Amino acid sequence: MSAAAATAAPHVELRRVTKRYGAVTAITDLSLKVDKGSFTALLGPSGCGKSTLLRMIAGLEEITAGQCFIDNADVTDVPPARRRIAMVFQSYALYPHMTVRQNIAFSLSVAGQPRKVQNERALEVARILQLEPYLDRRPAELSGGQRQRVAIGRALVRKPEVFLFDEPLSNLDAKLRVQMRLELAKLHAELGTTMIYVTHDQTEAMTLADRIVVLDKGIISQVGSPLELYNAPANKFVAAFIGSPGMNFFGVDIAAMNGRTASVVLPGGRTAEVGISTSASARSAELGVRPEHLTIVDPNDPNAAFAGAVAIIEHLGNSTILYVDTPAGQLIVEGEGDLDARSGQAIGLRLNASHARLFGEAGAAL
Amino acid sequence: MTASVESGADLVAPLAARRLARLRHLDLVGLVITLVTLVAAVFWAFPLYWGLVTTFKHEYEIVQPGFQIWPKHFTVENYVHVLLQTKIGLWYLNSLITSVAVMLIVVATSACAGYAISQLDFPGRRFFWWMILASFMVPVSALIVNHFILMSQFKLINTLAGVVGPQLVYAPVTIIIYKQFFDSVPKDFREAAVIDGASELQLLFRIYLPMNWGVTTALAIITFIGAWNQFLWPFLAVSSEDKMNITVGITQVHDAFGVSYGRDLAVAMLAALPVALVYLIFQRRVTQAIMLSAGIKG
Repeated sequence: MSAAAATAAPHVELRRVTKRYGAVTAITDLSLKVDKGSFTALLGPSGCGKSTLLRMIAGLEEITAGQCFIDNADVTDVPPARRRIAMVFQSYALYPHMTVRQNIAFSLSVAGQPRKVQNERALEVARILQLEPYLDRRPAELSGGQRQRVAIGRALVRKPEVFLFDEPLSNLDAKLRVQMRLELAKLHAELGTTMIYVTHDQTEAMTLADRIVVLDKGIISQVGSPLELYNAPANKFVAAFIGSPGMNFFGVDIAAMNGRTASVVLPGGRTAEVGISTSASARSAELGVRPEHLTIVDPNDPNAAFAGAVAIIEHLGNSTILYVDTPAGQLIVEGEGDLDARSGQAIGLRLNASHARLFGEAGAAL
Repeated sequence: MTASVESGADLVAPLAARRLARLRHLDLVGLVITLVTLVAAVFWAFPLYWGLVTTFKHEYEIVQPGFQIWPKHFTVENYVHVLLQTKIGLWYLNSLITSVAVMLIVVATSACAGYAISQLDFPGRRFFWWMILASFMVPVSALIVNHFILMSQFKLINTLAGVVGPQLVYAPVTIIIYKQFFDSVPKDFREAAVIDGASELQLLFRIYLPMNWGVTTALAIITFIGAWNQFLWPFLAVSSEDKMNITVGITQVHDAFGVSYGRDLAVAMLAALPVALVYLIFQRRVTQAIMLSAGIKG
């Protein structure tokens, strides 16, 4: 079973859907509500079922069990063209033998709209996406970013209720990706249409979406806003998946649990007080600490959680990433951009315990 | 002085070495292969040449014993006779009508069949696919009696429709090639068009066929050439001179004295002319089509 957002009027709703391919189950009894006008990202590693989920909403994959609703109408057995959705594919899927104008107007053309209407609508969309100079070119004559915009234009021209994006930026280079990300955010702000966006890139999900659905092996791990997922991950999977560089994990012994706090014994013998949200009792757990919540101090600092030695230094300009060998294993620490450290240097690490999370045996946050 | 002698020796030595290297570089194997290919080309082209020069000889010269590589007395009488005294114009027209009809119908039906087998999910799809593959293995000559009886029952003997009909089942290769090409179109194109509301026919005619236009032209050309060159079936299906194809018309070029080789060969040359022209104009496409039917993707 899965998490579900409780809102008054979901625009898209999946009710207990399951998808099986023969003996393989890709999606297991999943329920999800997507609010009208929201930008929802389906995030997860390869093979987690996020694209399958999107394709089920699009009607490109049959739903083995369960129902799909768009605007309160059951569309489980409705063909894709009648779901009032539009989809942008990872490969763009631009017809190579058609011009940009013909690509954009394709849906109008197959619907038998007069050529005048097709041209007007294509021009209107091209204007929004700044594609006017390229209307008579073929996709092969366009750059990656322009092709991506044509793909979006093809979706836009249909005036859909819901936009579906299947990893639309993964074929672009890093710089263009950032630019297109911005354009997508702008488009969403202008149109206010519901958008569902599949990605394995957590940065894309965090920057674009107002709501992220993290999927793992066909089930929803957590649904929440980007900051909720970052600051209060529901389990170790989400904690590890969100954030770059990734969260540090190490085993701790739980000395005592008092209401909303747990006293834990860190590797090396020091203790720390960590916030918890369950009343479950456990003797040991894993502590998750984000790199920016470890502060570099003097090795003899009495408040240091660990003493260690710097193994590797990465200068990123705006920050410095240190890999520090400690009794808890190698920990990643994020410091200031102008941090002065050298390999082999002995340092102490202070733990910002209020941001640390404890995870139980099954990986769920305590 | 010594220095100059030394430098002379230095010059001679590299020259000899260079000659040796050039000899070594002489690709003997390549040379032999080229020669063999040349001999083979002459071997294959000679009958064509022989046929062509024969059409420019007088009949008495043709039947003379001995080997004449070039006409003693050059004449175009054979062509004049064939063009003015036979129904070659009508035969040309019949060939054109039947070949274009076969080409259009075969390409259109094969594209539809290839698309259905490649893209649609319907009961019996696999069965149909195996049937098409199996029909590939039945020689056309084994079906000719059935074709004749069938066409006779439909009262289509001695009609152009009767010439065209049975040739439409010679299509398994075209279907197989279309299926292969449609299989290789990324499924995103199909899905994008499905979301845009395209029907199956729109998908075929607006996405799949235009995306494989090169294959279609190659297949159309090779089907046209095949239909134009058909002899056995048109020969059996038609006995009326007015309905004959040019290939069958050759059999009608005789007079009271029997067969005239010069005239027969003149018709044969004229019959081959359109195919030769098509081949020369669309050489690349024809080669591609032959490679496709041999299972090599061009």
